[in-house]
Amino acid sequence: MVCPQAGDPVNQIGIVVMPLLVAAIVAWGMWKRVAVYEVFVDGAKEGFDIAVRIIPYLVAILFAIAMFRASGAMEFLFSFIGPVFEWFGFPKELLPMAITRPLSGSGSLGVLADMVNTYGEDALVVKMAATLFGSTETTLYVLAVYFGAVNIRRTRYALQVGLMADAAGAIAAVIFCNLLFT
Amino acid sequence: MMNYLWGGLILISMLFAVGGDLYDISRDTYQNSEEYLLRPETGQLQVLNNQKLRLVLEAGDQPSIEAIYQTNGQRARLQLKYSDLYPEQWKHRFAGDRDKSIHATVVQVSTNELKVSLPGIVWHRLERMMQSAFDMAEFAAKLALGLIGLMALWLGLMKIAEHSGMVNALVRLIRPVLKKLFPEVPEDHPAMGAMTLNLSANMLGLGNAATPMGIKAMEYLQELNEHKDSASNSMCMFLALNTSSVQLLPPVTVIALLGVSAGGLFVSIFLATLCSTVVGVLAARWYARRQVTP
Repeated sequence: MVCPQAGDPVNQIGIVVMPLLVAAIVAWGMWKRVAVYEVFVDGAKEGFDIAVRIIPYLVAILFAIAMFRASGAMEFLFSFIGPVFEWFGFPKELLPMAITRPLSGSGSLGVLADMVNTYGEDALVVKMAATLFGSTETTLYVLAVYFGAVNIRRTRYALQVGLMADAAGAIAAVIFCNLLFT
Repeated sequence: MMNYLWGGLILISMLFAVGGDLYDISRDTYQNSEEYLLRPETGQLQVLNNQKLRLVLEAGDQPSIEAIYQTNGQRARLQLKYSDLYPEQWKHRFAGDRDKSIHATVVQVSTNELKVSLPGIVWHRLERMMQSAFDMAEFAAKLALGLIGLMALWLGLMKIAEHSGMVNALVRLIRPVLKKLFPEVPEDHPAMGAMTLNLSANMLGLGNAATPMGIKAMEYLQELNEHKDSASNSMCMFLALNTSSVQLLPPVTVIALLGVSAGGLFVSIFLATLCSTVVGVLAARWYARRQVTP
């Protein structure tokens, strides 16, 4: 049987996994006697709140990036450090994401939105950026909240470890996206 | 940190735009004061208001220019539509907008030629920068509102997962692993339970549900901590797991942004997050062994 749209295995997983996930969640919920419809509606209400809550962050970061790009500063910066990273096979378009990810969750979401807008949602760098976004947490925020909650001032090596994990995530994102999507 | 990055981004952009514009002004890159001689393509030049003219640029063999002559008695000008055939200096005036028309000021009219000057280009980097900043601000709000539907869909589904005990199912899976990673925490200590719950919720992308549990876990770990103002090895390990946490599902926002094409990301995110977690755990262990004194 010829299936022209099938593509490679990763795309097939991608196509299959989401509907399966939806069905599995609903089926499991019904099995556990959860009032699926009511609970779904209850959870969906949060969608509006979250979308409205991220607007200020998105505006802040998107407008700053837009200025940075339109002024020609980004091009200038890329022309210097771009080749160094490209030499290692790390796309320079990914740098804004790699820099903002550990600092701010909503900020890096803004960067991702900007990249989707600029390069299109099927571009390889966008997939890399999304993978990077999904693979690590906002390290500095997590440290601040958790250590702040128990009044710890000497964080010892926690920051280094977090940033190392972030760097590993970024490198892994580039490698796996290259393997999976090209 | 984010403050410096954000502020720096804006200030550097400003400096760049102003610098670039000043450079253009000092070098007269766009030849703002240049005047151009135009000749009628055929015959003599008799100009009436709102008359369409076909002209040729005097310098070289430029193709014909179509323009509308407009006058209000004192000031005469030519309305020019965009054309690919214009010289570069002219095209700049349209700022890449092909539907735009510009007005050239008529400096002098005689029977067989027309002298015009084009509108000057000054501070165009600043202008363009501000324009795209405004555009993006508008885009940001539209984007966020556009995400509402998909976010609602996934958050609804995740709520079902939460209510049907998906977290508890994961707890059973990761408990044995955690025992190995936290040798300093007794197995039946409540810290273990709180950490397992927090990490399980994190793995499912339930960030809001995870944070209170994580704070609880930190409080329990603090009870076990001998130096109260300095992080214990267990805390550092816990945060290493937390910041790099293995994600079984892509974050809701990523799915909302990328739509159906986020499907392939299930695999890549899982693999990348596995790598970052392994590196985080190994690094935390290495530091814990090296720094014996807290």
